[in-house]
Amino acid sequence: MSPAERRFPALLVALACLFPFVYLAALSVAESWRFPDLTPQGFRPGRWLTALTGSAGLGRSFAISCAISLTVAVIATPTGFLASKFMAAHRRRRLLLFLAYAPFVMSPAVIAVCLMFVYLKLGLGGGVAGVIAAQIIFSLAFAMVFFNGFWSPRVKAMEDLVYTLGGNRWQAYREALLPAARGMLLICFFQAFLISWFQYALTMMIGAGKVQTLPLKVYDYVNEANMFYAAMASLLLALPPALLLWLNKRFVFKQG
Amino acid sequence: MSSRVDPGKLAFGFFALIALAPIGASLAYAIAYSLGLTGALSQGFSLAHWRKVIQGGEILASFGYSAYLAAATVVISISLALFLALALRRQIERGPLSYALYLPLTIPAVVAGFLSFQWLSDAGLAARAMMALGLIDGMDGFPPMIHDRLGVGILAAHVGLATPFFALLFTQLYRAERIDELSQLTQTLGGGRFDRIYRVAAPILLTKSFSNIALLFIFVFGSYEIPLLLGRQAPQMVSVLALRKFTMFDLTQKPEAFIIALLYTAAVLALLALVFRLGWIRDESR
Repeated sequence: MSPAERRFPALLVALACLFPFVYLAALSVAESWRFPDLTPQGFRPGRWLTALTGSAGLGRSFAISCAISLTVAVIATPTGFLASKFMAAHRRRRLLLFLAYAPFVMSPAVIAVCLMFVYLKLGLGGGVAGVIAAQIIFSLAFAMVFFNGFWSPRVKAMEDLVYTLGGNRWQAYREALLPAARGMLLICFFQAFLISWFQYALTMMIGAGKVQTLPLKVYDYVNEANMFYAAMASLLLALPPALLLWLNKRFVFKQG
Repeated sequence: MSSRVDPGKLAFGFFALIALAPIGASLAYAIAYSLGLTGALSQGFSLAHWRKVIQGGEILASFGYSAYLAAATVVISISLALFLALALRRQIERGPLSYALYLPLTIPAVVAGFLSFQWLSDAGLAARAMMALGLIDGMDGFPPMIHDRLGVGILAAHVGLATPFFALLFTQLYRAERIDELSQLTQTLGGGRFDRIYRVAAPILLTKSFSNIALLFIFVFGSYEIPLLLGRQAPQMVSVLALRKFTMFDLTQKPEAFIIALLYTAAVLALLALVFRLGWIRDESR
């Protein structure tokens, strides 16, 4: 197939990637969408205003989700950066890397089953603080794994150079390490935010259903067979990261 | 900042305190609970719960079902992603697809499950499209894809989430590993299209992404939101079964929930250890 001939299948794949967002947007403003119609019967865009400001509390859920995810990302990113430095310099670094990977790859739902006892004993069950603490486990583990590759011999040599020139640890971070890691810190912050933003099972269990983040709203609406509100909550959940990613697509992988 | 206190050590200590200690303590509690040493109905040390789990087929079926769905997701997603990366590589690198392919990465599992339900249920968009094309007469004519035996809806949702990621990863690896040049060399040495794809490009891309493929298997194996929305009552995927048993009013089910969690943890840690041992996850700081 010539490059020109590949343009059509490429366009089809691109449209398929866009379709979930178009579909959710249409469903969120549909007046009704009964079987077997392929398109909605009428539109009701006013539903958005009702959902965001009314008793449905989508606006409130969006704010709670933002607050939790920002807090998790703000804590996990610098802590993961520092912890990975300790890990990379440690003589048993492979064991420590394994320990960082372990929570990162575990199912949050299964972890939540076990964690409930500890969190209830600590008085962290059913509240925002407990949800943040539980979500940090996964975001922090991700950050440590993510930054592990940063601590190359070249970075170590840069840090040593600061000390050789009479600098202290603070100056090593400020003048050498943090500027070198700026791009990765940004990527990590974004990913840590998303890990928290997408979290459902852990929030549901540790928050005991009282911390109504957006993923919980989506599930509740689907359970109530309220597809229009589920579509709105889904869009609110998927659109902000989609817009950010679209603008900064290189953030997904380490600098291409 | 005091030069005597190592911030890295403090940060790792924080990780140990907030992640490793609670997980360790909760796993110890789960072991004690499963052995009848603690809990509301505790009657002292007993292997009865473990015996019940091993003799009953539910948990084994759940692990088998989860492994099947994880393996099927890996095979389908990786095949599709390889095809996309090899057939549309230049379009993925520039043009509309280079933007659009990133969009599915921002769809959370719960939304993927919802979309799969909306499109693949017997009153969903696919059924409506087939009806409009005259391929089926009504809902009954549409093959079951949600709450079905093969987990088609669950597979579709996972594949939809994983394929774009791997297509992007393979495209990036293609460039990084200079596969274009290697393909030209293959051609110079008399190799054909088959050799370029199946003997050069695909083996390199797959070898270089082994760790990601292994992690995909582990993630799908423990996935929760998608099978919760789209799965059937029996067998259930591991996470769904564990949480269902844990949240049931029947307290006698709780030890089984902990046993599932323990077996799952052991399986995932063993897989992770294998991945480490085989060198698929390398210590990149060296």
